[in-house]
Amino acid sequence: TMNAFGLIQIGLLLLCTTTISSLQCNHLPLQQRKVIENSLQLLDKMGKKFPQQCLREKMSFRFPEQVLKPRQKETVKVAIEEIFQHIFYIFSKNLTLAAWDGTVLEQFQNGLYQQIEQLEACVIKKQTHYFRSKEVNRLKLKKYFQKIDCFLKDKQHNLCSWEISRAEMRRCLQLIDKVIRKL
Amino acid sequence: MEWKELPGCQNVTRRECDFSSAITEYYDTHHVRVRAERRKEVSPWSSIFEMIPYVIAQIGPPGIELQSTNGVIKIKVSPPEENQVRKLWIHFQYNLVIWENSSNAEFRSQSIFPTDVIDDLAPDTTYCLKVQATLPFELQEGLFSPIRCIKTTRKVNDLLCATNVSIFALNMEFYLHWNNQYKQHVSYNVQYLMGYLKKRHEGYSGEWLNVPGCENITDTQCNFSSIITATSGFYHLRVQAMSEYNKSCLSNEVKVDPLITNEIGPPGIKVDVSDVLLHIQISPPGGSESEVTRGYDDLSYWVLYWKNSSNNEEEIKMKEIKQTIGTLSDLMPSTLYCVKAQAFSRAYNKSSHYSKEQCIRTPGDKKIPLTILATFGTSLFAVLLVAALLTFGVYQAYNKIKYVFFPSCQPPLNIEGFGRQLFHSPYLSATEEPTENCSVIETIITEEVNQSDFKDYKHSTQSSRDSGNYSNDDDTSGSKVSEEMLEKEIV
Repeated sequence: TMNAFGLIQIGLLLLCTTTISSLQCNHLPLQQRKVIENSLQLLDKMGKKFPQQCLREKMSFRFPEQVLKPRQKETVKVAIEEIFQHIFYIFSKNLTLAAWDGTVLEQFQNGLYQQIEQLEACVIKKQTHYFRSKEVNRLKLKKYFQKIDCFLKDKQHNLCSWEISRAEMRRCLQLIDKVIRKL
Repeated sequence: MEWKELPGCQNVTRRECDFSSAITEYYDTHHVRVRAERRKEVSPWSSIFEMIPYVIAQIGPPGIELQSTNGVIKIKVSPPEENQVRKLWIHFQYNLVIWENSSNAEFRSQSIFPTDVIDDLAPDTTYCLKVQATLPFELQEGLFSPIRCIKTTRKVNDLLCATNVSIFALNMEFYLHWNNQYKQHVSYNVQYLMGYLKKRHEGYSGEWLNVPGCENITDTQCNFSSIITATSGFYHLRVQAMSEYNKSCLSNEVKVDPLITNEIGPPGIKVDVSDVLLHIQISPPGGSESEVTRGYDDLSYWVLYWKNSSNNEEEIKMKEIKQTIGTLSDLMPSTLYCVKAQAFSRAYNKSSHYSKEQCIRTPGDKKIPLTILATFGTSLFAVLLVAALLTFGVYQAYNKIKYVFFPSCQPPLNIEGFGRQLFHSPYLSATEEPTENCSVIETIITEEVNQSDFKDYKHSTQSSRDSGNYSNDDDTSGSKVSEEMLEKEIV
């Protein structure tokens, strides 16, 4: 019965895809490219070069690159929604030990938040047409960010854990940037 | 598959149990099965229940704190999972449903921040409300909080407060304007808040900052461009009015989304012409390296051009150019064209006003003057030639006629008085002239003008010329001509 339900969901999703793509939030990707560009620049600006002593503690978080395939608007949209909101929340607290530039950090957060709000507004418009699906990709991304969150908590948000996380976020945004440019 | 026993769900007599403590991986698929036991008898396992904790979990109700002041309701929402160590969700949006506590009341639904103010309510009225937490991206809605009812107070219209707070932004220069009806001395502080801070549950009241240059001012306007340090991100602004008696009042807030609030000014345009091409040079609004070009990185231009004739039905053509230089090529020669341009950004759906018009004329066709010139030249030449020939012909005829009928030559002196009446008649008649008997004295041929020997005279004059004795040099040509004429007549 679960499988049948799932099939119905997928069927409805495919049916609704054409309706969704014609809605007016099509201008968002153009703005997103800029936000990602800006975010990368600000991530660089907020701190100094990666400290050598933190190399020992480097961890592999293994970003789930399969969530960006196929290179379609819909998959990328899901990825962007998750990435933006998780980065926003990770960087919203316990930053004292990171000792980064506060103004730059504020600009970074502000830029991400604006995009999140716009993405939310676009989703609400589609709500009557869309049907909730399992969205395996979302879950994979949530797992990835949970690993980073746990890592930070375990290290009590010390400087090295923050620097490692910052480097990881940079990598993540760069991946998204590459995919968006090719769309 | 390795099945594990669920703690807290072993040997339970009720038909339900709480196994939350066993769930550690929220995003993984879990399988659950159950079987009944009675003494030593064991039932077969039930069918497998498959689930992902994250997907199956229901969002609980949020907590609400309300405060009724000055005709508005201040609300503070605490998230579901507030006191949990491990949270399933990170990001909620809150949906408020509010209605008047009367019959046939309309429900109003709006999105609110964790700390927010509900205004546009009627004073001295009881309102009931409830709030739910939602996950917009996952289209999940949580359970509503219990309904709470509260009465709004009277609205005290403090004249001190700044009103009609509005924004004017052109080419990324941002100005805040407001009005004030307070009769006495007022000074203002303009404050701003970065947009993302509103998302904070812990509130942001201490986060409002003064706009530099707009502290303790008496002007009812403020240039806050300095705080717009990044083009991506919202800002909220408000005006704090302060009276002499240390009374202050905060105005309503306005929200600024820099690239959306901003108006793009018109570009500048310069036009050059060569052949049947118009070269357009556009200067971007605000200058070439301004905040405008940095903010709207997809800035393009629409160039409108049309023939400027007295006929007002000329079609206006348009060309889109992405750089600041462009060329218009489908033009006609010798025509006055007018051009104007408009800047626009597709990503932000914004366009500027038009630039000033520039009119310029395309040069004429090179081929046409050549043919005209050639035709003109040839015909002119032909006309002149004919005229010259005609003039020459007329002149010749005139001369001949004049000579024949009105000769201008004088007879030689020695025959001058002779036969004057003879020359009156048009014809020379061979009249008889007195002759002399002459005889040849000498064999030397001399110039003896002999009437009867006109023929000989002719010969002698010819030969005597050589000798140089001939002294009629002055009349040589004249007499020669007249000789010939006479000879012809005689013959």
